[in-house]
Amino acid sequence: MSWFSRLKNSVDSNALDEELRTELQDHLDRRTAELIEQGVGPGEARRLATLRFGNTTNLRERSREFHLWSALDSVVQDVRYAWRGMKKHPAFTATAVLSLSLAIGANTAIYSIVDAAMLRPLPVADPGRLFTLASNDIEQPGDTPGGERETFNYPLYQALRAAAGGSAQLGLFSYANREEARIAGASNAREKVTRQFVSGDAFEMLRVSPSLGRLFSAADDRVPGAHPVAVLSYDYWHRRFGEDPSILGRRIEVEEASYIVVGVVRKGFFGIEPGQFIDVWTPAMMYRKEAFTNPGWGWFRIIGKLAPGSTQEQVTARLQPAFHGHTESMLKRNPSIPPGIREKFLAMTLHANPAAAGVSGFRQTFERPLWIVLGVAAGILLIACANVASLLLARATARSAEMAMRVSLGASRRRLMRQLLTESLTLSVLAGGIGWLFARWAAPVLISLLSTEGNPVRFALTMDTRVLLFCVAVSTLAAIVFGLAPAWQSAAVQPMVALRSASGQAGKLRMGRFFVVVQVAFAFCLVMAGAGFLFSLRNLFAVDAGFDPHGITVLSVSNDLKEGQAAAQHLLMENLQRRVAALPGVESIAMAPYSLYGGSSWTDQVIVPGRPRVEQESVFYMVSPGYFRTLRTKLLTGRDFESRDSRATEPIPTVVNPALARKFFGDANVLGREFSRPEGTKMKRHRIIGIAADSRYRDLRKGPEPMAYLPLNGESYFALYIRSRLDVGSIVHMVERETQALGSGARIREVTTLETLVGNTLLKEKLLAGIGGVFALLGLLLASIGLFGLLNYSVARRTKEIGIRAALGAQRLDLIYLVTKDLIALVGGGLLAGLAASVALMSLLSSLLFGIRVADPLLIAIAISAFVLSSVAAAAFPAGRALAIDPAVALRDD
Amino acid sequence: MASSRSVQTALDLLVLTVLERRGPLHGYGIANAILDLSAEALRVEEGSLYPALHRMEEAGWVSAEWTVTENKRRARIYQVTRKGKAQLSAESQQWDSFSKGVTRVLRLA
Repeated sequence: MSWFSRLKNSVDSNALDEELRTELQDHLDRRTAELIEQGVGPGEARRLATLRFGNTTNLRERSREFHLWSALDSVVQDVRYAWRGMKKHPAFTATAVLSLSLAIGANTAIYSIVDAAMLRPLPVADPGRLFTLASNDIEQPGDTPGGERETFNYPLYQALRAAAGGSAQLGLFSYANREEARIAGASNAREKVTRQFVSGDAFEMLRVSPSLGRLFSAADDRVPGAHPVAVLSYDYWHRRFGEDPSILGRRIEVEEASYIVVGVVRKGFFGIEPGQFIDVWTPAMMYRKEAFTNPGWGWFRIIGKLAPGSTQEQVTARLQPAFHGHTESMLKRNPSIPPGIREKFLAMTLHANPAAAGVSGFRQTFERPLWIVLGVAAGILLIACANVASLLLARATARSAEMAMRVSLGASRRRLMRQLLTESLTLSVLAGGIGWLFARWAAPVLISLLSTEGNPVRFALTMDTRVLLFCVAVSTLAAIVFGLAPAWQSAAVQPMVALRSASGQAGKLRMGRFFVVVQVAFAFCLVMAGAGFLFSLRNLFAVDAGFDPHGITVLSVSNDLKEGQAAAQHLLMENLQRRVAALPGVESIAMAPYSLYGGSSWTDQVIVPGRPRVEQESVFYMVSPGYFRTLRTKLLTGRDFESRDSRATEPIPTVVNPALARKFFGDANVLGREFSRPEGTKMKRHRIIGIAADSRYRDLRKGPEPMAYLPLNGESYFALYIRSRLDVGSIVHMVERETQALGSGARIREVTTLETLVGNTLLKEKLLAGIGGVFALLGLLLASIGLFGLLNYSVARRTKEIGIRAALGAQRLDLIYLVTKDLIALVGGGLLAGLAASVALMSLLSSLLFGIRVADPLLIAIAISAFVLSSVAAAAFPAGRALAIDPAVALRDD
Repeated sequence: MASSRSVQTALDLLVLTVLERRGPLHGYGIANAILDLSAEALRVEEGSLYPALHRMEEAGWVSAEWTVTENKRRARIYQVTRKGKAQLSAESQQWDSFSKGVTRVLRLA
């Protein structure tokens, strides 16, 4: 019986039963017919036939057992045989299992992140009907084309909601923020929570139920500022309150407002953004009041749910007029917008994107890198497979005598192949199991690399059935890839040839060679990509940013002074600056409303009288006196700001950089010149009092942008730059004392360093460099193992030949050449193939590289020398073994 | 165990012999042939032939396939394989020596 029908039997025992019944029935029918022919009555004939036959059910049962048990039994036998073989060759087994489990583990770990971040639908009812609204963005020169704007303002949201009618529900979801919370009744300590504002119908739209209390409803959507209620996530309730039901009705203070906890959402709902776990939801109505009337406040995304029967196209068509009407009225209110930009605004359209897997800022940054990393992991898996395949091939050659013996004793080739494939599967199951454990450990570690304090990334990394299935599929596929060729070759053994001589199996080596070339080519691509990512990161760190981030501590400070008390706020800031500057160990200090590389920026138009309008906006940044000294941005000419500049009337004293001077004045020498900036319907005048060196203000990857520095106003929340040799802890300690002494609720909110902030914008590059580098090393190692295995085997096989040559007086160098000439050709061939492939690969990756050419000579040289070195290392042992062959022993031994 | 084993062996030997002598047969035919050869010697239920056939099929001594007979019935036809023939000669030799031994013991006793 074939293996397939056996498998069919064990799965589909109904069919087997049916066949057995037919066969037994056939016997009974024939016997009955014969008895009738002999003159027995029909009823009596049937009775006699049945009597003679015996108990059919019992017989069927016994026959079935043979089919099923023998199938299972031979599988168990095969597995046990495979296990014995693996135990007999521990070095082989360890190498194979280790390299496979690393590769399978890496693939599973990365897939689990890709799945959680990009593929898995949100844990809500009917995720397929969710969509998110976006418009095409107005492209600024230098922007990547195809940008989308997902941020909306409240007046537009209202207009869209009215226009959508019954075709779709539109929910408001603010960008999640890390904020300070204080729980009444608990200790008075402040803690950080992730908070999101949502419209009242948001939970109802997602069909998320409470596990305690109630969630929001349309009743929480009425009056701005009048719905001080909060809903907690199950995760937060569990983590922070131990699932204490008395949380209902307690007060929680988030930022400055106080809320009453009215409910906890059901377990497993983390929000609509994979990568973010929301702790606290508050009604959208509790956002700042001016945001509800002022279309200038864009602060949320819109996620909608299609009504049954309507499509995304229908909904967008209904929303389009409302969107255009909103744009037109915005343009009417802002006459200063130049005609070129007006046209772009009018050309903007609204569209809907599917949002079954939620929306994610993480995805925008890491989607491409994660797919690339998964691709790299797949490359590693292929190398590992080729590696194990060549190890198996070598072993199969060693076992060809055994196979020949079994064939001549009557074992079918199919049986042998099955046996060998079982061995491969056993290997890969073992490797898959270890890889699974490895992935469970590695996935959270990988995520933590992408997480920052201000933007913690967390995924529901449940190692669920999807990931498990992926792991199993990868392991099985691997087993087939690496097991099939060796099994085929072994089973096709010619008993006569194999038994006559143990050597002379050239065919097997040919396939082994092929695997080595494949390994070298793939590993070369991995090394090129890994080195490319590592060098990109190095190049980014080596970029002259125009400021020196080392040794600068950045503190965010807030105070309780209300808006409109700008003068008092400014006085507080000046006092703080003076006090901190006087502290021992503080070299210099400066302030700004927000830090560089913190994610905030302000851009506006620069209009130079008498020169054509430039559409591109420039960066404006408000700074305190001492900023250029503290950041070590060179002041090229003119002067730094002084305290009195803050109180100066128009023209506003302004420092610009050469990029702005060249772009708008066509001249570097612009000291004393003036330009204007539109503010609403008015124009503000600026006079240039100094020129500071160009700097990369928000992105190391982009060149210096035109930039204008303004004197600082009073702020309720600002950033403090402190240049000092002291460690961050003692700086915080000292500054805390000063803020307490100043009063007005001044206190430190965030602590970080400028280096960390800059580094956080390079997470993508760090991820790629880290994983790319590790995988490049791994690929190199695996390829070396493959080379070593092949060479070692070929020396073993040719012991006699080498012995004869040595006896005939061959020199050591000749012998080394004899055993390594194969290797040189293989590595050379692999490198050539790899070089060609890597050029294609690098041009595919070019958008993620920085300062690296597609065929970068330095990279190629490094990669090639890495391969030469590792090949020499791989060849050293087998070559030594060849040299150590004693002719007398080699010739006697046969 | 020993006795059921020897009954099994005897039945196997009979089936293989029948199949070798008479060529491919269905189960009913095999049963009739065995009854013809030694109706009284083997008092077994006819049905017990089938588990034996299936066990031998699993062991690779006989092969089986479904055919449609002249009167349009589906029947399962068994045939002895090369392996079965080898088994037959080995088993019958063993059986020979076993029965010779038993005969000798009986004569001497």
